[in-house]
Amino acid sequence: MQLEAQPSAFPNAEFEQLMARYQQADPGAVAVLVERLSPQLYRFFASQLGNRADAEDMLQDTWLRIHRVRHTYRAGDPVLPWVYTIARRVRVDNYRKRIRISTRETSVDVLPEVPTRNDETSSLPSFEELVAVLPESQREVVTMLKVNELSLEEVARATSSTVGAVKQKAHRAYQQLRNLLEQQQFAQAAPKGAAR
Amino acid sequence: MTCHDIDNLISSKPGNALPPPEAAAHLDTCDECRALIGVLNEERKLAGLPAVQLERIQASIVKTLKPVRPLAPASLFLFACAIIFLSIAAIGVIPFGMQGWGALGIGQRVAVFATLAGSAVLLGVSIVGQMVPGSKYALAPAGLPVGILTVLLILIAATFRPQADPGFVENGLTCMKNGLTYSIPGALLFWLLVRRGAILFPKLIGAAAGGLAGLIGLSVLEMNCSNLDVYHVLVWHGGVVVISSVAGALLGAAVEYIDRLKRHKVS
Repeated sequence: MQLEAQPSAFPNAEFEQLMARYQQADPGAVAVLVERLSPQLYRFFASQLGNRADAEDMLQDTWLRIHRVRHTYRAGDPVLPWVYTIARRVRVDNYRKRIRISTRETSVDVLPEVPTRNDETSSLPSFEELVAVLPESQREVVTMLKVNELSLEEVARATSSTVGAVKQKAHRAYQQLRNLLEQQQFAQAAPKGAAR
Repeated sequence: MTCHDIDNLISSKPGNALPPPEAAAHLDTCDECRALIGVLNEERKLAGLPAVQLERIQASIVKTLKPVRPLAPASLFLFACAIIFLSIAAIGVIPFGMQGWGALGIGQRVAVFATLAGSAVLLGVSIVGQMVPGSKYALAPAGLPVGILTVLLILIAATFRPQADPGFVENGLTCMKNGLTYSIPGALLFWLLVRRGAILFPKLIGAAAGGLAGLIGLSVLEMNCSNLDVYHVLVWHGGVVVISSVAGALLGAAVEYIDRLKRHKVS
């Protein structure tokens, strides 16, 4: 059975038309784009940061940046990778800014908000808890694939990488997650065994 | 079906789509894969985005909304890069002559100039791709300038042999000066060409544009310098590419810094 992922055909013709209208200064197109893309971008930030206030700030920054570089969008190109490349850049800049600030002042840490779980009885850790232990690049790839529902090719474009490199990062991430889950299950099973 | 096949399936299915029936047999027997899919496919409930936030974003954009001219097609930028490269290289060959070309053997000519041409095309394509966020890459742009430089240095080391060179530093500095004389205007012209697109990744584009400009200098030197000593070519000819790339990256970093200061003032 052939399991190689097929690149998606980017069925986002509507987004492409909206971007073209945005470049022509159509306020209606701006409204639709902000409304449609913001929830996804917010999830992208919130899933990785676990802090709503920071995610909202970065969303605002991302739109300001999108507005500033809107001329770099070329008609016919897929919109989502273009948007996520900018979002990713905003996240990296924000991360660097935090490092600069934290070296100058002692900040009061804001505790990350743990996302609510659907199944409270489940013994498995949540997605956010699990991916938090992955290296930055792997966490980003898994978030884009599973939370933002981008295809492999879209992730490759958004991360200025190749499909092969994205697949490799995803596989490494899955392997690490498997190991973590195995440890969790083992740790949960151990006390039961000891009680017997 | 193996765990690796399941990984491929997970990556190829968007979001939390359920695995196909053919994966069921493996999932029945593999606890790790079942747990992994359970976590990746869990329905995530993140708090919603406040409507007021969206309105604020829309208002801030609409306030400064003006029509913009999209970037020209990639082919046009590539053509312009080729014209700049070839014109400056040709201008460089005219005053100094082609003694270097005459001194090289056929094998050396093919190896050196084919690699130079290939590297220039790769860097040009990479620069033009980086101007548009979300472009498709066959080679990751971050490692390309370093990769090309490494290939060039290995090629020089393999193609040339050590020869007596009594004026190593003196001749070398002259060569480097000649090479940079053509690299610097090339770098400026490349920067003028790509500056509208060098907003998100100025450092990377700067390094690539500097590298491409360095290749102009290296091409001029290979055409006119008859000194075939491997150390001379490695240090002084190769040095032109290194200096140009580093200078391009530093220029890009400066642009990024200035841009950050501007944004900081605005916010």
